[in-house]
Formats: sequence, structure tokens, C-alpha cells
Amino acid sequence: MTDIKHHAYLFDATRCIDCRACMVACSVENNIDMDKTRIWVAGLGVTGEYPILQRGTMVYHCMHCEHPDCMSACPVGAYTKAEDGPVTYNPDLCIGCRYCMNACPFGVPHFDYDKGIVDGAFIDKCTFCPQRIYNGQEPACVQTCPTDALEYGERDELIKRAHERIAAHPDRYIDHVYGEFENGGTSYLILSHVPFKDLGLPELPETPINEVSEKVMEMTIPFALGWGAVLTAVSAGVAAYDKKLALSKVEVKNGKSAEKKAEESK
Amino acid sequence: MTQTISRRDFLKMGAATAGALAVGSMLPPKVAQAARGAGHLNAEGDGFIPSMCEMCVWRCGLVAKVVDGKVVKLDGNPEHPHSRGKLCPRGQSGLMNTYDPDRVLTPLVRVGKRGEGLFRKASWEEALDIVAANMLKIKEQYGPEAMVFSSTHNLSQVQFENLLYAFGSPNYGTQRSLCFNAMITAFQLTYGVEEPARNYEDVEFILMVGRNMMEAISTSETGELAHAIDRGAKLVYLDPRYTKTASKATEWIPIRPGTDSAFLLAMINIITQNELADCDFVKKYTVGCDGIVAEMQKYTPAWAEQITGIPAATIERIAREYAAAKHNALAHPGWRTSNFINSFQTERAIATLNALSGNVLTAGGCLSAEVAAEGAGLGAPKQPPYPRISALRLDGAPWKYPLVPLKLGVFQELRDAILTGEPYQAHGWFISRQNPILSLPDRAKTLEAFGKMDFIATVDIIMNDTAWFSDVVLPEASYLERYDPLLPVGDKAFLRQPVVEPQGEAKSALWIYKQLGERLGLGDFFQYKDEEDYIRQQLKPLRVSLEEVIEKGYAEMPEEEDDGEITFNTPSGKIEIYSETLKNAGFSPWPTWEEPPMPKEDEFYLLTGKVAQHSQFGTQNNQLLHKYSDEPRLWMNAKTASQLGLEMDDWVAVTSAVGQVHTKLLATEAIRPDCVYLTAGYGHLSKGLKTAYGVGASDSALHVTYTDPISGGQALSQTFVTVKKA
Repeated sequence: MTDIKHHAYLFDATRCIDCRACMVACSVENNIDMDKTRIWVAGLGVTGEYPILQRGTMVYHCMHCEHPDCMSACPVGAYTKAEDGPVTYNPDLCIGCRYCMNACPFGVPHFDYDKGIVDGAFIDKCTFCPQRIYNGQEPACVQTCPTDALEYGERDELIKRAHERIAAHPDRYIDHVYGEFENGGTSYLILSHVPFKDLGLPELPETPINEVSEKVMEMTIPFALGWGAVLTAVSAGVAAYDKKLALSKVEVKNGKSAEKKAEESK
Repeated sequence: MTQTISRRDFLKMGAATAGALAVGSMLPPKVAQAARGAGHLNAEGDGFIPSMCEMCVWRCGLVAKVVDGKVVKLDGNPEHPHSRGKLCPRGQSGLMNTYDPDRVLTPLVRVGKRGEGLFRKASWEEALDIVAANMLKIKEQYGPEAMVFSSTHNLSQVQFENLLYAFGSPNYGTQRSLCFNAMITAFQLTYGVEEPARNYEDVEFILMVGRNMMEAISTSETGELAHAIDRGAKLVYLDPRYTKTASKATEWIPIRPGTDSAFLLAMINIITQNELADCDFVKKYTVGCDGIVAEMQKYTPAWAEQITGIPAATIERIAREYAAAKHNALAHPGWRTSNFINSFQTERAIATLNALSGNVLTAGGCLSAEVAAEGAGLGAPKQPPYPRISALRLDGAPWKYPLVPLKLGVFQELRDAILTGEPYQAHGWFISRQNPILSLPDRAKTLEAFGKMDFIATVDIIMNDTAWFSDVVLPEASYLERYDPLLPVGDKAFLRQPVVEPQGEAKSALWIYKQLGERLGLGDFFQYKDEEDYIRQQLKPLRVSLEEVIEKGYAEMPEEEDDGEITFNTPSGKIEIYSETLKNAGFSPWPTWEEPPMPKEDEFYLLTGKVAQHSQFGTQNNQLLHKYSDEPRLWMNAKTASQLGLEMDDWVAVTSAVGQVHTKLLATEAIRPDCVYLTAGYGHLSKGLKTAYGVGASDSALHVTYTDPISGGQALSQTFVTVKKA
């Protein structure tokens, strides 16, 4: 387990029985306060009209994006994307600006109003259980899942497994592995029998928004320099023109006055 | 949410209280010693200790992570066949059971009126003396039978039973008649086993009758079912409610409550009339092979359609699919089958369907009816024979209920006999880890019965409702703080061992029963020095040391020899579809149809059930489970609700023939229009349960007492209610 190069989760909504063992396990493992949680149940629950009904629920926590929006939004570098998957948060650096909360398309980072000032930890989110995964254990939520709706392993292998499962039971799944490409890919992959938007998941482009914004942001200096140069050139041009104009005006003025003088002298 | 104190605060509080009260803290910490000796804990007292869960009766193996003498995490033990490395939400929250701020940490003696909740602290010496003196007084004045004993399904129950039989009382109240009497009695009569094991390995077709496996979780079996479904096995699920199991089923059949047996009898009709059964198996191994075709002729799918509301064609198709799966079909025996007076017949029909598919004891068969001689290889302390008991049992078994196994009993009848004083008056009640005030139907009656008692003593870890109404409360160590007798599962005997020191003055049940036994003059029945000595005596025939078991978490048991013979533990040695025993007792020898009562026009069937986060009546105060369970509300079909002018979250008054509760409404499509549903276990009366008090409503307060004359099961869904805006 320790030789995993890219840690990831696979969640299969067809297997989830909404028992919430993962939520309790996470709360205990990470000593989460009684009024907080790092895992949520999302989805529409029961839909349809009696007796034609369907149920769609999903548990989710931090998606551990490949291009984390929280990280690109954070002005102080409190977020890090580890090479082997986890997106981690450093409370010591956090200034509590909450940009990450606005940036995350999954609404994962939660602001801790109680602890913020005292302990300095403003944001609470899934850590990927480093104390477990680097000691040969599965993350707490995965290990306890009674129906193996949550699985853990190498991202590539999980993606392969997910596609195999769809191929084996095409009638059972939506033919898509959410998170394989969404937002540039996530380390929390999802299989579902109901449309992903019914599980509360946003429809996201394959190119992560932050990749676009980062590219734009990367342009800032060249752009600033370029635009500066343009402006400098323009202003220099204008200045030169103004000077020229001023000179000619002087000449005109002088001319005029000469004419005037000439008239006056008449 | 009633509390927002952090768990860390509780740990601090727990430690503070423990420090203030612990006499035991003067002694060297025994748990740490044993665990360190076994190599579980390092010099700092940190490490992992294997033990067993007790958040329900499935008894998963666990591994407790201990830091600084506190348990900080529980994981499923991969070596235990019931957990296989996993725990359900209840198991995961088990440490909050131990660190519940409402733990009773010292013996308590009542000083106010019963139910007022006023107690004073007492020493063990004093509390045990009071309990023993009262029990002896009752024994002297009225005879030992005037003491009622009740306890529920736990590993120390063998010593609880020892106490009651040594005392000489026949009056034993288990919760089983409120749970699985119908299932066990039916399978006992048909197969000679209490509960046959299920095998999902090759299952292709599963029929579940109200067995909500995805919410009433049995960790390993729930996982096996999920994997079977994943593999492509078909699950047909009968339930008036669209439960989480229904949502995973291939086919959900919202059958009319109480009519399951009509559905099943029609399935048997199709299978027998069309010779779809495994005839070789049936001829060889069953009684009733000859008569069944004629007997089942009347139960046509068209007949069943009238009763169940399920189209005849659907019933016939399901019967044919079931039969086509042959011995890879499984009709699940169910668990809490106490629904209607006719639930015993439902179970008999299920037992018959399994016999017809030939899935019993055949290669790859899905039902195992072998008699497991549990604990046969283990030793036990020596003891004299029990005194002869001549008094009748108050619960009517067997003089009124001839077929009810004595170890199951008829709890609700026991309560009623306390009220009537017939055939004699009970005067005292000793209760261990049970909450009859909330679990018995018709709560008002139960409270009245408590009022008739001269003396009530309760053993529990928290101030449960029953403890709240008791005279003496004896604080038990939680399952993470104590030893219990070994539990044999397959070829291993598993150990529950303390992973942390008991808090306050809490003691194990083994210790409490022995102390009480000695004070009652029954010391000879408790010939063990302490818990460790008891387990050493159990291990003696295995020639395994306690130290080894502490280290591994289990002892290997010698494998039982399989003689290859297929015999059933019934009078005929065969599967008794036709039962002479039933006939002799004056009941139908065949699985048969009994018409259940139906609600009047403005009434609803009141259904009850479980959620994945709670076990019966004892876990609602667990703060982690409270945190992660939904708010308990009365389920009502959304269209019915709107016809009644009721909206989501309206407060409603729910009224039955015996009680009324007020609760919030959950308008949902997920239930039949003629039913409403309440999750059992809410509506606690004890103000000593600060998390659970005031949450939800009690279904028991509404339940009318109806007893099935064959199995003694309470018919929990046979109560009808009206619902009005409160």
C-alpha cells in the first residue's frame, strides 16, 4: 500500500447504502468536533412517485483535485498538492481569507468560526488520512465501508477498475467516471447509476477553471510589461506629438503675433 | 442537536470524573499490564488491542487503538468472520458508548419517588447488600418465583441465567418475543435449528421478506449481500416501505402489511402444482412431500392477489424465477419477524420455500441448517445442580404457549402477568442491560407494572429509562472496559477483553453476578475468582493459555468432525414441512393462511423498524450516532399527507388504542399510502440521557399487545393509528 504513486478513492454510488459508517470513522479518526464533519451525504435521496422510486445518495469529502482551485486561490500558499495525490492544508499559513471556499467548485473547505482565532485553523477538510495511508492502512472512511462502496488505491488502477465495472454492467451505470477528467481530474472518482448532477456534483469542463485563470494570471507580468511598453510608447508618442504641436503653436503664435504686430504697426 | 460540546471535552470530562471517583486507580492498572504483557501496548501505553464489538448482537471483531490509556479509534478486526476488517456506524461510534458523559460510574440508590430521578451514590458493598437483602426478603416472603429476571442477548448472559436458575425463579424475560420468536420457533419446528446460516457465495436469487439488511446491518452479511447484488444476483424485497434495502433490490414489492404469507403460499402453490421443486431432495429429506400439492392447491396467485394487492402474474413469475435458481435460491429467514399474529406462518412458508429449492445442505446451497454446538469445546466452572423449580412461568411458556422455547419466552405476557397477579404476584425485578420500559409494547402498562414492584434493580452503563425507574442502579463496565465469556465462531473462540481501564467504579457483569450470587448464598454457583479465572477455566480443555488469547484475540477450537450424514434435529430427523408437533399442539401442521386484522378507514398500519445508526433502545444517547442519524419523524405517504392537509415537518398527534405521541411528520413517497412508520428506540423518558431525552417519539407507547399463540411473538405491526395535526 505504501508503494502507491498516486493515492485515490473510488466511490460507487450503486453500492452505497447511506449507512454513514465512513462519516463516523472519519470523525473519530481525526478527532473532529461534535458539531462538524469532513464527510457529507449528498444527492436527491428518494425520487419518483410511489411506487416507482429511485434512490441516489453519495458520500463525499475533499476531491483532492489534480489542479486544486483552493490552492490557486490561496494568496498565502496554505494549500499543497502532493505529487502522490493528497491536497493538504497548512493552518499555520492560513490567514482566514476564505478565498478557497469560494474557489472550490465542490464546496469542500469549511470555515471554522470557533477555532479560527484561538487555534489559527480556519479551514477544515479531508486530509487523506496521512497517518494511516503512510502506515499501510486504508483511509478511515474506506476501511470501514461495509459494502465496499468506497475503495482506495492507485489512481490509474481505480480508473481502470471503474471502467471495467461499467463495461461488465452497462445497464447499471452511467457510462462515465466522474473525476477522471472533470476539472482536470480529481483523486476522488465516482461511479453512479443516476446523473451526476443528481448526486449534487457540478458539471465541470475538462480543463480546470484555475488552469485558465492561472494562465491568465501568468500573463500578468508580461502583459503588464507589454501594456506598459505600449503605454510608454503611446505616451512617448503623444509627448512627442504634443511637443511638436506646441512648437508649431508657438510658431503660429509667433506668426500670429507677427501678423498682429504688422497690423498693429499699420 | 442538543449538545455541541466537543468530543475532546468529553474525554477530558470522562478522565476527570474517573480520576475523582476511581478507587481502582490506586491499584496497578490491570488492563495496561495484560496488554503490555501481550505486546499490544508500548512503554507509553499506546498500541492496538483486539476485542469484540457490542453495539449490536452481531459481535464483530474489533481492533482498538489506545493512546495514553484512552481508546481513540476502533477498526474492524480482519481476522474476525463477522467484521472482516469493517465496522458499521454503530461499531465505529463504540468509543462514545464508553465515553458517554451520562455514564453511571458509581452504584446509585434511589432517594426520590420512582421516576423522579433522584439517587444518592453508594459503595458497591452497600448497593449489593441492598439488592441481595431485598431479593432474599422477596424469596422468603413469596418464594423465589416472585423475583423476575430479565436480560438481553449478551455474552455474560450465561452467568445471568446461572444467577436466575440458582436463585430458583422460572421468570426470565428476554426481548426475543419482541424480536425473532416467529423466525426461531418456525425454523426450530421445521429444521430443528434456531437460525440457519446463509451462504451468499453462489446465490443467484434472494427473497427477503422485510429483512432490511442495508439498515439493520450485520456487517459481514450486509457486505455479502451487497457483493451478491453487485455480481448480478437478483434480490426481490417485500416491504411496505422503500427502505435503503428496497433501493438496492432488483424488485421492490410494496406488499400490504400482514399478507406476506399469502404471497409466499402462492409461490409454494406455483412451485408444487407445476413440479418445479427439487423433487429428489424433497422426497428424501422432508416430511410433507406427499400432501403438499393438495394442501397448497387453494393458495393460487389469483387468491393471493386479492389479499396482497400484488398482481397474480407477478407472484407467479417470481415463483418461477425462484424455482429456476434451484439451490442457488435463498428465501431469507429474516430477523425481527414480530410483525403480525400470522408472522409464524410467514416464517413457516419461508422455511418451506427453502426446502423446496433444495438449497439446504446441498453443494453450493444457500442455507445451512446444521446444528452448531456452540461452546461445546469450552470448559466451564464447576457448579452444583440447580434447585428444582415447580412454579409456573408468568409468561405462560409452556403451560399457555406450549411451543414457545423456554429460552425465548413471552416477555409481553410476563409484563401482563405482573399486572394481573395471575397465576401469582411478582414482587421484584432484576434487570441487566435491558430497557423494557421502552422495548415492551404499551409503555403505559409497563410503567404500571414497574409501579407494582416492591423492588427493582438494574445493571447498565448509562441511566437508561429502566435504570431511571429503578431502586438501585449497578454500573457496569462498558464493552471496551471488561472481559466477557468467550464467543465461539466457527473454528475459533473470540475474546472480549478490556482495552481501557473501567471508568469510575464500573464493574464487569461477571463480577457483579458473582458478588450478588455470594450475597444470596449462591456462591457455589459462581466458582471463579475473577473474570480472567473464568476465561482460563473456559480455555482449559483447549490447552490454550489466557495470555495467548489476550495476544491473538481468539483461541483455535478443534474442528468438528463432519460425518457426512444429513440429519435434522426434528422428531422425524427430516425437514418438517408437515409438522406433527404443531398438529399435536392444536395448530395447523401445514404452513397456512391466517387473516390478519386491517385498519379502519381513517387508520394507518403503524410500522416500526431500524436505521443503520442505532441498535434497538440503547444507543440513542451515543453522541456520534446522534450526530449522524436523521431526525426521527413519522413517515407518511406524501399524497396521503397532502389529502389530510399535513405538510413536511408539521407536528402531528399519533393515536392508537393505548397511547398517543406527538412527533414531526416526514412526508415521503417511500411508504404505502395506508401505512405510517416510526423508527424504534426514540422517545426516551429518562432525563439522565441528556442527548436522547426529548428526541423523537416512542413507538412502544403506541403498540397494542398482541401475542401469537404459537411462537409467543408480539405483533408489532398490528397496531393501527390515526394521525392529526397537533
